[in-house]
Amino acid sequence: MAYHPTRKLTIFALDPSVKSSNRILRTQIEIPNEPLEIGPRGYRAFIIDYDSSTDSYRDPAPVRQARESPQPPADPFEHSSDAALMASPEFHAFMAFGIVMKTLSRFEFALGRRLSWSFLSHQIQIAPHAFSDANAFYSDSAQGLFFGYFPSSDGKRLVYTCLSHEIVAHETTHALLDGLRERYTDPSSAQQAGFHEGFADIVALLSILSAPSIVEKVVDLGLPQARGGAIRRESVTVKGLRNSGLFGLAQEMGSELAGIHGHALRRSVKLSPGKNYLASGECEEAHSCGEVLVAAVLNAYLAIWVNRLRAIGDHTRLDRQRAAEEGTDVAHHLLSVCIRAIDYCPPTDIEFSDFASALLTVDAELNPDDTRYRLRDSLLQSFCSYGIAPTSKGAAHRQAGSWDPPPDTAQLVYDRTHFENMKSDPDELFRFVWENREAFRLHDQAHTRVLSVRPCIRIGRDGFTLRETVAEYHQTLKLFARELPRFGVTRPRGMSADTEVTLYGGNAVIFDEYGHVKYNIGKSILDRRRQSNRLTHLWKNGAFEPGAGKARAFSRLHLNRSTNWYRAIISPDYTTAQK
Amino acid sequence: MSASPTSLTIRMYNVGFGDCFLLSFKYANRSRHVLVDYGSTSAPKSTPKHGPKKYPTSYMSVVAEDIKRVCAGKLDAVVATHRHRDHVSGFSSDTGTGQVIATLSPGCVIQPWTEDPRAKASALSATSSIYTRGRPDHRKMTAHFLGALEDMHRAAESIQQLADRSDLAGSQTLEQLKFLGQDNVKNPSAVRNLLHMGQKSRAYYVNAGMRLNFLPGVRCTVLGPPALRQSDAIRNQRTRDPGEFWQFRSFWASQSRGLTRSTAFAKRRSVSKATAHGIPPPSVRWFVNQARQVHADQMLGLVRDLDDVMNNTSVILLLEAGRRKILLPGDAQIENWAYALSKPKWRRLLSDVNVYKVGHHGSRNATPKSLWDLFHRTGVVGKADRLETLCSTKSGKHGSARSGTEVPRRTLVADLRSRSTFTSTEELKDEFCYITDLAL
Repeated sequence: MAYHPTRKLTIFALDPSVKSSNRILRTQIEIPNEPLEIGPRGYRAFIIDYDSSTDSYRDPAPVRQARESPQPPADPFEHSSDAALMASPEFHAFMAFGIVMKTLSRFEFALGRRLSWSFLSHQIQIAPHAFSDANAFYSDSAQGLFFGYFPSSDGKRLVYTCLSHEIVAHETTHALLDGLRERYTDPSSAQQAGFHEGFADIVALLSILSAPSIVEKVVDLGLPQARGGAIRRESVTVKGLRNSGLFGLAQEMGSELAGIHGHALRRSVKLSPGKNYLASGECEEAHSCGEVLVAAVLNAYLAIWVNRLRAIGDHTRLDRQRAAEEGTDVAHHLLSVCIRAIDYCPPTDIEFSDFASALLTVDAELNPDDTRYRLRDSLLQSFCSYGIAPTSKGAAHRQAGSWDPPPDTAQLVYDRTHFENMKSDPDELFRFVWENREAFRLHDQAHTRVLSVRPCIRIGRDGFTLRETVAEYHQTLKLFARELPRFGVTRPRGMSADTEVTLYGGNAVIFDEYGHVKYNIGKSILDRRRQSNRLTHLWKNGAFEPGAGKARAFSRLHLNRSTNWYRAIISPDYTTAQK
Repeated sequence: MSASPTSLTIRMYNVGFGDCFLLSFKYANRSRHVLVDYGSTSAPKSTPKHGPKKYPTSYMSVVAEDIKRVCAGKLDAVVATHRHRDHVSGFSSDTGTGQVIATLSPGCVIQPWTEDPRAKASALSATSSIYTRGRPDHRKMTAHFLGALEDMHRAAESIQQLADRSDLAGSQTLEQLKFLGQDNVKNPSAVRNLLHMGQKSRAYYVNAGMRLNFLPGVRCTVLGPPALRQSDAIRNQRTRDPGEFWQFRSFWASQSRGLTRSTAFAKRRSVSKATAHGIPPPSVRWFVNQARQVHADQMLGLVRDLDDVMNNTSVILLLEAGRRKILLPGDAQIENWAYALSKPKWRRLLSDVNVYKVGHHGSRNATPKSLWDLFHRTGVVGKADRLETLCSTKSGKHGSARSGTEVPRRTLVADLRSRSTFTSTEELKDEFCYITDLAL
């Protein structure tokens, strides 16, 4: 029996508003091949077409395949007309399902291991027509992704969020990131909330830019062509791609979906480099904050792409098709690096500068020779131009901005634990961390837990495999506000002495293939400055008010954003609420 | 001197969850009466011992008759702080109480600027611009803001209907949805009656900073609601960006469209035989319940938010008569108060208030700590000229104790009780009306 690991599926490349020659722009994605149940229902995700606004459930139509076919299943929508696809609930279901599976497999490909959702189920549930509302979100407690639909502003048609490649990939990334780093939904700095949004946008944008039809369109709009489909070499500039290409696309996306996400594509192009964004009041809000990160990555993407284009073709011209292929290639490569970097990020209180160091470290580990893409130079430059200086400067003779190996590895005691067990057993790993608590700077009063232990195998561009074990541990310390000064943490002005506060800390520990600690990346719970800043930020933003959530609710984001304008007349200088 | 009143009697009627206050100023030759709000969304819990027998079933008409009796057929002013049902339902002609008030031919009607029919005449479609010659135009923004309020009414109506679906969520959530939905549904009859009464006499559509002279010898300062131009001035930098206003506007337009339109797609859906009995297949039941709950929570968030916006259209009046100050803030919450509290002059003016009508039935957002801390007549029992606080409320209707949003807020009531002479309609056992007299 022939083995077909993947199958093809036609989806809309961006969303139904983006057309080429009067046809909705499409792309064919590759998703894991599996014998699907009707729904579709697969091994990691299934569609449930329940609409809570009308309280109606729709039985899925049988778009299924022969279980034991020698051929991979045919693409069921390849030859359908636009009108048929728009009107087909089966296509809606398959498009959402396809993007979820594609995003999941992109993560698994990049990380070299299977991923778990953050909840206790192997399959995420997807409601493609969840409610009549211009909203879409991931819910951890409901173990699902919800995509709304709503009437367009002229009331003449319906807009389906499940038909937006960007939105489905964005929400799926929230779910995957929550599985990888469960503490990123804790109340922390504006940057931690912004990271969830920004990272979801980055994955969504780079996924879209991995679709050839989209990148061809970017090339057509951004790089003027001479006759015969060749691009004039002198017109290949970052500015050209940025200004005409992506911005043109963003305008086509229309304003209908703009309220749902921070229209990442448009903003990230408009946001010109500047070092003060993150310190400004504007970045107190999660989406605005995340946009700075998106802009840094997207501009690096354009720089790398242009570098590649300069290296190909003859002196005067280059082929349009080839230019587009390079664009998808760079997007694919950069996306892998971004996803891998999560393993090298601290498990708690993440800031963009940590992500910058993680990106540089992980790429240097996997692709020591960076002459082809010059990816690290471009990333470092772009991040710095947006005021995101890597957390680590990088030791001498190592990649600038990358994490340093831990200085005190000699002090670590390995004798009483077994690495073979440590690769998969959290209890064994906990023993190792506990026995080395001084070296790991654990706080003895705090509650310590190993969140995960994950062995992974990655293939570097040099063809060699990289075996690593990535573990995370986490510390929580619950205190009354009156105790804060004793721990060197400043009590926010106005916070009553009996307010209960929680401090977090934790590290990601990377073990090499010999079981030795290669990196120890994290945030100590004892960091007084960080803890003081975090509490002040949370206090100012109402996280301690009655009714404030203990974790970030993605379903409320949209609502919160809409009321931003309205609430912003409250000034802590003269208006304070009752407790 | 006959031009100034010598005493004031305040009547706080027990209308369950709602507000109804009658202020009677005594002058040398006659009394003048001001009715501040007259609405209810939930009947009083107890039957007063000395009240009329029909009180539990028709408490609103009993109150109307009592107002008519006290004011001897003539009201000098009606204040409708904002258009929530629990503040204006009594003005509705549908139940007859509105006619009773109309026959008292009020000398003037005071409402917030958001009720001004002239502003509405220029209301624009949700997609039209807010700019004039490249600059944000406050007149257009005002029209858009009013458009957003209309959208909120429509959204509330759909949410109220949604609460009839008993399988949607737990009973507590459903009750909240129904209660808040109902309170925010447009009340056209009351709105019309208030408009007509104003047209017959004099209508004031007020915003912060106005001075009203409708009672001789009584200074009346309007402390809220701020007009958009005013609130814009204190808005933080980022949200002065018209894009942020736009987000607010288009969000509510889209909510109103999404909630009120039955969609074409839904009609084309075939519900399977299994679901014809309302039972989806076993493999999806858990998720369907989760989805319902998620949806109900979303709707609750939505209706809470629009409830806040409506509350913040409340008129805040400060009356100064003789040596007394009476503060009547309707349901104004912290966002409305923010403007008044940003003015040092008004902070000083507020510091020696004698009577405070507790804002929004005792919710935590309506008596900002920074306002409460300004009052210096607060203190323990026995303090001379101690602050008197009047709270018209009914617990168990609004918010939840679990999330610290219950109305009245337990901690606030404890503070009001210990530091002021506090009366709540919930405590009225023998009477349907609490009466307090002040020498001016």
